[in-house]
Amino acid sequence: MKEQWRLLQTGFNTAFSNMAIDRAILVANSQGKVPPTVRFYGWNPPAISIGYFQSVAEEIDVNACKKLGVDYVRRITGGGAVFHDKEVTYSIVIPETHPAIPKNILKSYGRICNALLQGLKQLGIQGTYAPINDILVDGKKISGNAQTRKVNTVLQHGTILLDVDVDTMFSLLKVPNEKIKDKLIRDVKQRVTSIEHIVGKKIHFEKVEAALKLGFEEEFDIKLIQGILTKEEKTLAIQFEKKCFSTTQWNHRR
Amino acid sequence: MRSQSVYKVPQGKLLKISVEYNKRNNVIKNIWITGDFFAYPEETIELIEKKLRNTVIDQEQLLEKIRSVITEYHIQFIGVDAEGLTKGILMCKL
Repeated sequence: MKEQWRLLQTGFNTAFSNMAIDRAILVANSQGKVPPTVRFYGWNPPAISIGYFQSVAEEIDVNACKKLGVDYVRRITGGGAVFHDKEVTYSIVIPETHPAIPKNILKSYGRICNALLQGLKQLGIQGTYAPINDILVDGKKISGNAQTRKVNTVLQHGTILLDVDVDTMFSLLKVPNEKIKDKLIRDVKQRVTSIEHIVGKKIHFEKVEAALKLGFEEEFDIKLIQGILTKEEKTLAIQFEKKCFSTTQWNHRR
Repeated sequence: MRSQSVYKVPQGKLLKISVEYNKRNNVIKNIWITGDFFAYPEETIELIEKKLRNTVIDQEQLLEKIRSVITEYHIQFIGVDAEGLTKGILMCKL
């Protein structure tokens, strides 16, 4: 019989809640209270997440975010700033010692990204993993990913773009040199793609979730069983949201 | 005096370093290492920043200090390394 992992489809939540839920699952899994878990989610309102090592002041136009009703949050994972709008976000939480996960961090990025590639294949999209943490289709980025390892547990989360609005994205993100901003926007438009752009029609969030579910099942030879957050995870998530991810102290710490 | 550098590590990530240092003897008073790189465990970046205080902005001394902290605390960097960090700090002085 195939190993069973938990599937969570938590729908659309705020940036603070989303990051808090991922962290709560990480804690619960590290304590052996929940099985390896794959989660799919979205962001409402749209939000920017920045990597653990990034500086809010250097990456985000806070006033523009306020004006457009976009939240921002610092992740517990490294990597770059992401504008989360029309996308499916996933997370996977699994013990570091699980045989499915290579000990080598870079190799484990590749293994988890393979699940996403299998998922994209379900949608008729052929992509490639581009180390360190991207997935490309026709040489353009469609997915960014970030991993942390804490208390012997792996958390990797990432995005798969349904559609992308580079102009809005750059009205919210700061660029190192304002003089070359227009060129930068043109470059990024050339280097980023999305599922809807590739297939040439609107694709529903749920359809991508279903494709990615199959991708994870195939790559890891497991069965994903629909589940819910435990009471303890919910309580933890509320605590993390309140005491960490929604606070200025956390988000502006760098 | 305080100055900043932006350095794209070859085959790696974008490093943004801000250094406050004594211009007379080039000793670091404070340093902030930011960017889109990865480090495991993440919290050790604060430790590296702390350990770099009172270090002279000099290639050899910086490299030695960074390498020793990496070894002592088993830090794993992805997208940046000791050489990249050193270069980013040195660029602040130029």
